Amino acid sequence: MDWTAVFTKSLANPQAMSASLWLIIGLPAFGALLCGVFGRLLGRTYVNLVACASVLASFILSLFAFQAVSVPDRSVVVTPASNGVAQLFAMSSDYGVWFSAGTFTARYGLWVDHLSATMLLVVTGVGFLIHLYSTAYMEHDEGYGRYFAYLNLFMAMMLTLVLADNLVLLFVGWEGVGLCSYLLIGFWYTDAANAWAGRKAFIANRVGDCAFILAMMLLVLTVTAYSKAPGNDPPAITFASRRILWTRAVSGDPGPLNFQVLEEFARYLPADIATGSKGILDVPIPNGPLAGRTYGHTLTAIFLLLLLGAAGKSAQLPLYVWLPDAMAGPTPVSALIHAATMVTAGVYMLCRMSPLLVMSPTAMATVAMVGAITALFAAVLAFAQNDLKKVLAYSTISQLGYMFLAVGVGVFWAAILHLVTHAFFKACLFLSAGSVMHGNDGELDIKKLGGLRKEMPWTTACFFIATLTITGLVPLSGFFSKDDILHGALGAKLAGYGWVGPTVYVLGSIAAVCTAFYMSRAYLLTFTGERSKDAKVPHAHESGWVMVAPLVILAAFSLLLIPHGWPDLVKIPIGPPETLMQMFLSTVFRLAEGMASKAHTLLPEAESSPWPGFGVALVLAWLGGGAAWVLYKRVFPARAGKPVPGFFAAVHSFTEHKFYVDEAYDVVYSFIKYLSIGLFRVVDEGLIDTVAVGGTAFVTSKVGSALRYIQTGDAQTYAAMMAVGLLCGVGYALFEALVK
Amino acid sequence: MAPNQVDSQYYLLLAAALFCIGMFGVLVRRNALVVFMSIELMLNAANLTFLAAARDRMDSNGHLAALFVIAVAAAEAAIGLAIIIALFRNRGTVNVEDIRTMKY
Repeated sequence: MDWTAVFTKSLANPQAMSASLWLIIGLPAFGALLCGVFGRLLGRTYVNLVACASVLASFILSLFAFQAVSVPDRSVVVTPASNGVAQLFAMSSDYGVWFSAGTFTARYGLWVDHLSATMLLVVTGVGFLIHLYSTAYMEHDEGYGRYFAYLNLFMAMMLTLVLADNLVLLFVGWEGVGLCSYLLIGFWYTDAANAWAGRKAFIANRVGDCAFILAMMLLVLTVTAYSKAPGNDPPAITFASRRILWTRAVSGDPGPLNFQVLEEFARYLPADIATGSKGILDVPIPNGPLAGRTYGHTLTAIFLLLLLGAAGKSAQLPLYVWLPDAMAGPTPVSALIHAATMVTAGVYMLCRMSPLLVMSPTAMATVAMVGAITALFAAVLAFAQNDLKKVLAYSTISQLGYMFLAVGVGVFWAAILHLVTHAFFKACLFLSAGSVMHGNDGELDIKKLGGLRKEMPWTTACFFIATLTITGLVPLSGFFSKDDILHGALGAKLAGYGWVGPTVYVLGSIAAVCTAFYMSRAYLLTFTGERSKDAKVPHAHESGWVMVAPLVILAAFSLLLIPHGWPDLVKIPIGPPETLMQMFLSTVFRLAEGMASKAHTLLPEAESSPWPGFGVALVLAWLGGGAAWVLYKRVFPARAGKPVPGFFAAVHSFTEHKFYVDEAYDVVYSFIKYLSIGLFRVVDEGLIDTVAVGGTAFVTSKVGSALRYIQTGDAQTYAAMMAVGLLCGVGYALFEALVK
Repeated sequence: MAPNQVDSQYYLLLAAALFCIGMFGVLVRRNALVVFMSIELMLNAANLTFLAAARDRMDSNGHLAALFVIAVAAAEAAIGLAIIIALFRNRGTVNVEDIRTMKY
């Protein structure tokens, strides 16, 4: 076989592949059913086998899907690239109407393009490694059937989210992963704190989901209003103009929330010199409930609501508070759900909606600022955390902030690249932390660890590589993905918000210094120096190969992804050279970029070399890392036993208490709580329970006990009563007859 | 109407009288057996009404209804007598005033 065919031709038959896309979701879902229902019956070995095999099969199918949409298979290219829009290599599959009401339709449709294919590989790949790791991590836990059922269900839901071709089906996955997150955070529910952490996550997500649903409704109203307005072509899927498709009959109405329909809708929005259209961003909506408001303003409202939804799922300000508490779950869960995959759903969703998002500079600026402030804020919070997993949790929030920052300044490809590299290095960090827990009898306090370098060499090596990746002390994949974002931010010029780009660049750079500081601190305290006197066990032991192998693979990916973010690697026919990831994702994001320049919302950046910025970033990283080294290897050990200087103590106490945000939330929350308690006492207990329910019972029983003396037991009395009744009836009839 | 025929309203008056006598019996007699017979009297009063109506209307629907009433009365007589016998065996009396246990 000619091996170069891998790069030129689709290995799987495209039609067959697109028809079997549902299997990618179906296999883990079936695994969840088997593990959940027959877990006890199957026993530990077979549960492990079913859980891992179903995800592995999903991963292999995803590889085929990825390969099929990635290769420039000319034999199936139907239409060459025309009108300046890049070809989209994608496949889709439609399984019929889910529900429809009036003019609204939602379908079961799956869609794989370069963006979702990338996500597929990350989700199933990291997911499989974590399933494998879990078989060892959970080997002493009785709830293995339940655990793997939840984990498999999570995979199915996350894949639904990624594969969905419309916003409604995406929302199913969105809610599904939230449910699995809740179930897995509270996995050890016998400890009340874990159950509370699960509830906190669930409720914080509800706030976001409420906004998400509102945004969907507004979007339906907007698109429907546009298609109904006289003289407008309803936005239908018009694939023929620009893309190849391996598609299974999308016949009938795709519904207003289909992503392709939304893209088509987005094309009508900006002014277009070529067609002479003036655009409709400033045109008031002519009919429907939104009549009178312009399309542009409505879009801004929609995306601010979507941002709130994404902030709930992706733990951004102001809804980030659930993520640190979510560390109550098993560590592989933290790695999979709360670091690598689920929390990136918000970023993915905003990238999916990029053609519409770029129409609203206000929403873009808000996204960027939320991301930048979250990145810095969470990084500062990570300073004083002594729990290794909490450090990583705040680090996750901070890194997600970078991704939002990238989305906000329009470098969507860098957001996705950072999502991918982050999935690998953060999963590696979390799994290493799990390995540390496993080898130290569950100890996670970095003050009570130390010196693990000699006892756990593999874990240390992997944690070290991942630390270098996230901090950017050495230019590995994380360095490039983060600094591609910052470079994009510096060059971004949002219409009307010119200050946003430089501001988020500065905030992001300070956050990078903080990142280098807290990650170096965590590494130095945990793995170097002497073993702490407070350690739970005198000697740690290295974990088995089932746990180490995923660590090594994940660490290796930190290195393998370097070319994807390396600047100016790919020369393209038109325009400046691009990075590998930018080129790969351009089939998805070039539309958004084109639209932004048409609408003049995102002005084209002045081309500048990224290398000086990278040099600055490297210096900043060494500044942060060096500060950590000086403080924790020189200053504090030398001052052991002496009181901590006032300044450090104040900073420490303030960050250790998480800037008192939880307390501030408690105040707001208490207000709502006491309001609910008051309403409950008056309305529920007072009006409904006492007056309505209790009152009915009281009156009935009193009347009954008064009337029961009529019940004499004498049949003839009853007969007499009936006779009297009959007499009355006859009398009435006679009376009627006589009077008439 | 043929001259030698009785007017229908006399049948109805007879039925009303029978019904009232039956009802009087049900209300005042103490012996359950006699109460039972009074009930039969009331049923037959109803029969008579049906037949009178059938005669007036010149159709057979009334006869049909009367046949149904007779069948029901037969069934009722069988079950009712069985109950009264069982009652007598258990309590040694068929006086309805002595049987009033189902009260408040």
